[in-house]
Amino acid sequence: MSSESSKKRKPKVIRSDGAPAEGKRNRSDTEQEGKYYSEEAEVDLRDPGRDYELYKYTCQELQRLMAEIQDLKSRGGKDVAIEIEERRIQSCVHFMTLKKLNRLAHIRLKKGRDQTHEAKQKVDAYHLQLQNLLYEVMHLQKEITKCLEFKSKHEEIDLVSLEEFYKEAPPDISKAEVTMGDPHQQTLARLDWELEQRKRLAEKYRECLSNKEKILKEIEVKKEYLSSLQPRLNSIMQASLPVQEYLFMPFDQAHKQYETARHLPPPLYVLFVQATAYGQACDKTLSVAIEGSVDEAKALFKPPDDSQDDESDSDAEEEQTTKRRRPTLGVQLDDKRKEMLKRHPLSVMVDLKCKDESVLHLTFYYLMNLNILTVKAKVTTATELITPISAGDLLSPDSVLSCLYPGDHGKKTPNPANQYQFDKVGILTLRDYVLDLGHPYLWVQKLGGLHFPKETSLPSHSSLGAHHMETTMKLLKTRVQSRLALHKQFASLEHGIVPVTSDCQYLFPAKVVSRLVKWVTVAHEDYMELHFTKDIVEAGLAGDTNLYYMALIERGTAKLQAAVVLNPGYSSIPPIFQLCLNWKGEKTNSNDDNIRAMESEVNVCYKELCGPRPGHQLLTNQLQRLCVLLDVYLETESHDDSVEGPKEFPQEKMCLRLFRGPSRMKPFKYNHPQGFFSHR
Amino acid sequence: MERPAPVAVPLGQAEVFQALQRLHMTVFSQSVSPCGKFLAAGNNYGQIAIFSLSAALSSEAKEESKKPVVTFQAHDGPVYSMVSTDRHLLSAGDGEVKAWLWAEILKKGCKEMWRRQPPYRTSLEVPEINALLLVPKENSLILAGGDCQLHTMDLETGTFTRALRGHTDYIHCLALRERSPEVLSGGEDGAVRLWDLRTAKEAQTIEVYKHEECSRPHNGRWIGCLATDSDWMVCGGGPALTLWHLRSSTPTTIFPIRAPQKHVTFYQDLVLTAAGNSCRVDVFTNLGYRAFSLSF
Repeated sequence: MSSESSKKRKPKVIRSDGAPAEGKRNRSDTEQEGKYYSEEAEVDLRDPGRDYELYKYTCQELQRLMAEIQDLKSRGGKDVAIEIEERRIQSCVHFMTLKKLNRLAHIRLKKGRDQTHEAKQKVDAYHLQLQNLLYEVMHLQKEITKCLEFKSKHEEIDLVSLEEFYKEAPPDISKAEVTMGDPHQQTLARLDWELEQRKRLAEKYRECLSNKEKILKEIEVKKEYLSSLQPRLNSIMQASLPVQEYLFMPFDQAHKQYETARHLPPPLYVLFVQATAYGQACDKTLSVAIEGSVDEAKALFKPPDDSQDDESDSDAEEEQTTKRRRPTLGVQLDDKRKEMLKRHPLSVMVDLKCKDESVLHLTFYYLMNLNILTVKAKVTTATELITPISAGDLLSPDSVLSCLYPGDHGKKTPNPANQYQFDKVGILTLRDYVLDLGHPYLWVQKLGGLHFPKETSLPSHSSLGAHHMETTMKLLKTRVQSRLALHKQFASLEHGIVPVTSDCQYLFPAKVVSRLVKWVTVAHEDYMELHFTKDIVEAGLAGDTNLYYMALIERGTAKLQAAVVLNPGYSSIPPIFQLCLNWKGEKTNSNDDNIRAMESEVNVCYKELCGPRPGHQLLTNQLQRLCVLLDVYLETESHDDSVEGPKEFPQEKMCLRLFRGPSRMKPFKYNHPQGFFSHR
Repeated sequence: MERPAPVAVPLGQAEVFQALQRLHMTVFSQSVSPCGKFLAAGNNYGQIAIFSLSAALSSEAKEESKKPVVTFQAHDGPVYSMVSTDRHLLSAGDGEVKAWLWAEILKKGCKEMWRRQPPYRTSLEVPEINALLLVPKENSLILAGGDCQLHTMDLETGTFTRALRGHTDYIHCLALRERSPEVLSGGEDGAVRLWDLRTAKEAQTIEVYKHEECSRPHNGRWIGCLATDSDWMVCGGGPALTLWHLRSSTPTTIFPIRAPQKHVTFYQDLVLTAAGNSCRVDVFTNLGYRAFSLSF
């Protein structure tokens, strides 16, 4: 009950100060005006300590009374009820005191609370203020620091140094008097100056840009002009071709050739360059051309992915075919051989013109897998040549260039590495293929810049670049001319006439009785079989690169057989004669000194028979001399006393002495112009 | 004797020419040095080659020992005869005699000491000197050759003292008979004539070709070589090589060599002879057996 009332009372207390009604519920309105008992005011007057004492005393009294009631109740009796009643009224009073005290306590409490609350509120308000202020302080501090840290953009600009500034800036900007003292003004002035300068530079920049644009446009215009020039120049070049030809200055042709030459393999390129250079520098009659298909040459260098695809395809195909039917080993080998001996599609053709209008055509090929150069030769003459029977081999493409340099027979490959390649595909030697592929002479390799180690340690003939080209060309020309000269001579020799030119007539007497009856070629093996050629064979002078002939000179019953070894290097290397005389027995150099002397006259003393340079008359002069020697021999033969009958050959030659020296030589030396014979 | 197998050397012009020269070379004369260690040989090109005999004959002889130690050009024409004094090598060829010092001969670029030409009758052709002979007792040299005469030259003064005539054709060879100072000469006319040096007259004549045993008419009658040992004489040429007894002028032994001889020498009991037509000098250690050959 008391709690309910205090609850109800609280809102009243808060609302209005000092308007509580004691013990009366909801009667505040009526009792507001008039007399009201204000317990709050009483509280202020009473002393809490005394109230506490009172409370304790009241509680004790109550306890005592209760105890007495108890006692009375327990004792029972009739007067107990009055005693209890008395006591009950006393305890009620006490209860009322207690209730008041409680009320007072509550009021005190409330008051205390209120006061505390107020104070708290104040404190809170102050606290709040403090916090606000602190917050503001912090904020301000931050702002201050921000302000302090503020960097003006102007500090990032690289200003010119002070001295420069004062030097360069015009005075209305620099305002020296003001700025010197005041750094702020100074900075401002500097910034001003900076701005000025930047403006000016920006101006310049714009100008330059516009200039550049202009110039670019000009360049474009000129480019167009030039590009339009190109087709015009081309047309001029085309038009000038006839003029070039007329003036013999084939620039265009040369240019085209150089274009094609780029696709040549390196050795052929070297050869091409050297030959062209030589032709231009030394020998105008030499012409160089490139033949063959450039496309094929380009095809050789296609990127490998194409060929790889092909390879894998062909491998698959190959496997299939081997399952079905094995291609013959021979065919496989053949293909491999063909592959190994493949030629590069391009070849270089060199034409050498000689003085007598005959031309030596040389075609140079490059064998790619073997890395050697080969050459095919052909001789064409101004007029048609009727080949005498014995001259068959002279100009044949197989042998016309044989042994241009001593020992260079061109039947074996000069590259030692090829031997291993040949073994793989069963080729024994290149000799079988030279007719088709051309001869791999050593001088050809040298012309192309290919050097191979020699198998035997022979002293190499010096050949340094340009010299070699020159020497080789000269040798080639001499070779062709000597062969052609021999060709002509053979034609005459086969008819039994020894063609002696008029400028060689002085070597021989006017009257020569012995005649050449036969002139034939002889095979190498047959030459080796002859009984009177053993010396030459043993001396190593009869190799298989030489050409062999047999001449027969007759006079009366005497027959002189002469076996001739013609070296490919005719006429710098003389032909070698071996004689066999059939007259009164067979006489050769092994049983007759004079036959030996006759051989010596043509073999050893050949230099006087060379005739005028270039000495192509050597062979015919030698043959003529043999006829003369036979005459002398037969006529000066001492008459054998035991045999009857006159001498078959009367002496017609003028000789000083018939025999001389311990070897009793006949006088074989002819003296011109006296016309007599003497001894050497 | 075997020749080495031909080497397949690529032959340039020079090599071919050399090979041809060698094939057509004839050695005409030889002479042994006074010390006996060297042999000089002269060929038809006018060259003289000096071989070292001691090296060639030694037990360690190789192919190179059979090559000449030095070769030089002595005469323009063939060197037909050579002879050695105790200091000089005398060589004769086309008409003149040259002397070389043995001590200097092995050096390169050796020059002759002197050269002499005997007085010839003809001037059209210079006659060759086919034979030289030393006469040590007189210190003179006898030359004989193409002009059919024997000339005597005094070695000290170099003058020509005698000219012995009698041959009808040119003289091939000479030999000295020591005991009675006689000179034998063999010539193209087929006769061997003996000359007495003191009287300068012909003492004896042997016409070899007239003797049937040794004559070979198909070869001719000429006497190519001659050697004598006072009582004995070897001569050959057109007729076969025969050993003669001089007193009786009769042939005793005939040597079985087919080719006509060019040169023969008695050396102790060796007969050195250049036989056949080659660039070789054959050495016989026994009569009739060819031991080995020296080659140019």
